[in-house]
Amino acid sequence: MTRDIAAVALGLAVAALALAEARGLPIGTLRSPGQGFFLLWLGVLLLSLSLVLLVHTVRARAGARVRGDSRIGQVVGVVAALAAYTAILEWIGYPIATFLLVLYMVKITYPQRWLLALGVSLLAAGGSYLLFAVWLQVPLPPGSWRS
Amino acid sequence: MEILGLLASGFAIARTPANLFYCFMGSLVGTAIGVLPGLGPPATIALLLPVTYGIPATSAVILLAGIFYGAMYGGSTTSILLNIPGEAASVVTCLDGYQMARQGRAGAALAVAAVGSFIAGTIGVVGLMLLAPPLASFALKFGAPENAALLILGLLMVGYLGGASMTKGLMMAVVGLLLGSIGLDPIQGTPRFTYGIYKLSEGFDFVLVAMGLFGIGEVLANVEQKEEPEVITTKIGGLLATREEWKAAAAPMARGSLLGFIIGVLPGGGAIISSFLSYAIEKRFSRHPERFGKGAIEGVAAPEAANNGAASSSFIPLLTLGIPGNASIALIFAALLIHGIRPGPLLVAQQPQLFWGLIASMYIGNVMLLVLNLPLIRVWVRLLQVPYGLLAPFIIVFVLVGAYSVNNSAFDVGVAITFGVVGFMLRKLDFEPAPLVLAMILGPQLEASVRRALIFGHGDVFIFFERPISAVLMVLAALMLLSPFARWALSRKFWAIIGPVRAEK
Repeated sequence: MTRDIAAVALGLAVAALALAEARGLPIGTLRSPGQGFFLLWLGVLLLSLSLVLLVHTVRARAGARVRGDSRIGQVVGVVAALAAYTAILEWIGYPIATFLLVLYMVKITYPQRWLLALGVSLLAAGGSYLLFAVWLQVPLPPGSWRS
Repeated sequence: MEILGLLASGFAIARTPANLFYCFMGSLVGTAIGVLPGLGPPATIALLLPVTYGIPATSAVILLAGIFYGAMYGGSTTSILLNIPGEAASVVTCLDGYQMARQGRAGAALAVAAVGSFIAGTIGVVGLMLLAPPLASFALKFGAPENAALLILGLLMVGYLGGASMTKGLMMAVVGLLLGSIGLDPIQGTPRFTYGIYKLSEGFDFVLVAMGLFGIGEVLANVEQKEEPEVITTKIGGLLATREEWKAAAAPMARGSLLGFIIGVLPGGGAIISSFLSYAIEKRFSRHPERFGKGAIEGVAAPEAANNGAASSSFIPLLTLGIPGNASIALIFAALLIHGIRPGPLLVAQQPQLFWGLIASMYIGNVMLLVLNLPLIRVWVRLLQVPYGLLAPFIIVFVLVGAYSVNNSAFDVGVAITFGVVGFMLRKLDFEPAPLVLAMILGPQLEASVRRALIFGHGDVFIFFERPISAVLMVLAALMLLSPFARWALSRKFWAIIGPVRAEK
């Protein structure tokens, strides 16, 4: 799939979402526009723009392909690590969750020596906790498992 | 004379130890991120927004503005020394700056870039100071139709100038408007796009969206690109340009400053376009265009002046009309909103301490940057030697803490991460995230203005064309929309189509 065809598909999907939402709301009239009025026009506009992009893409024929680089797996890994971080943050607490996340990034995403990886993870988790939670008084979660 | 009195009061505010500290930190951090590729000013401002929650609004704006214009200074250093643009607005400086460095004239290039930046930055602040108050007074006459027309024109310009494809830029603007409509509608309070999820009734917090799109999105994009920039040590040489070099650079600096100032005022314009345009103009009108790309000092002086002039003048639409012209300015807009201040025509009159304090801090910041930059060049080059793999986790940690601290909720962390993935996908599909964030922040205002204008005009859409100011703005918007057709009509393709037909006649 070319990059622009994927972009057209995304535009059409969001336009469909906007039109579906507008359908469930009063559109009103020009004299008294309702809550769905703006959404309806935005949906129509996005639909039109997506079609314009489709025409451009078809006319240009050879569109650039979505770059399928080899490190996409690393991106997926970081996103999964971030999702896991969100899930465990309040239970395990900020310092430990952050230590584990940074360790993942410095050991797996950008492989470094163990000693350096542990040092950076400790610095990032401990340093940021001291800076934000202790010094700037940001109430970061200490971890519900403690209680 | 009144303006001098107000400026003096601004200096009294900017000179306090706390504000001097924030100005210095903003300039320093801005220069550092200008040096570092892979972390732009919007991402940095997004990361530091939570730090500004606990400080006064004026100090917050002084800090964030310092980051923005400081980045313009920092970007030139690595362009010249390493052929690596630390910031998009400095891409064009690589062309001649790096060639100068290879010829042993790095010091001259750096000095001209720094002085050009200082002059343009200062001219930009003078222009901001002189133009903003009368423009704000003029904008006070705006009603709903004028506001709607202005916002439509602004969004079209952002879509038009903000990226390679106008269609994609406009698509992003529409998606941003839709994102801005999530939650309660601005007139009747009906929930939209909430799907029964209570947390969505307030809509997405703009700060979380920006942190995700710019902070996490940029980190993910960099994770995908393995290659680390190769750091080459170049001899800097003396930091003084010769008299001939200063003479050759003077006029391009002046032209670059003026051009940058004008383009910076336009929504969607700004530092990147102005630097490319000023380079093109210098080359086009030079008596020796063949020297460009081979170490012409004009090719460093003009774009560096232009991007700094644009950085200063891009505050004008924000502070007078409440329209942020680029992503960094949109984040400063958000910072002001967080402090309960709505940027717009009333800001100069109602928050004079903020407006004049900011202006004065920009004068001070420009001097700080000039003094800071040249002695610290070696430090910045060393900073580049820190592998991105060690920097990325710290960026992520800043985003996560920032996202959590918005409402002390892990849900918000999830929202920022989700938008980080969205930002990554958008980059893959060649979409610019800037029009999206601008439209998101302006969306509720645009919807309310359009609906009010239609109610006010009893459903007559010509209300937008009956009042002179809104008519001019709408005509400009229409011209902008039609400009691709005009370009097409003038293109060779068109003549190739009609040429044979005319010949037959």
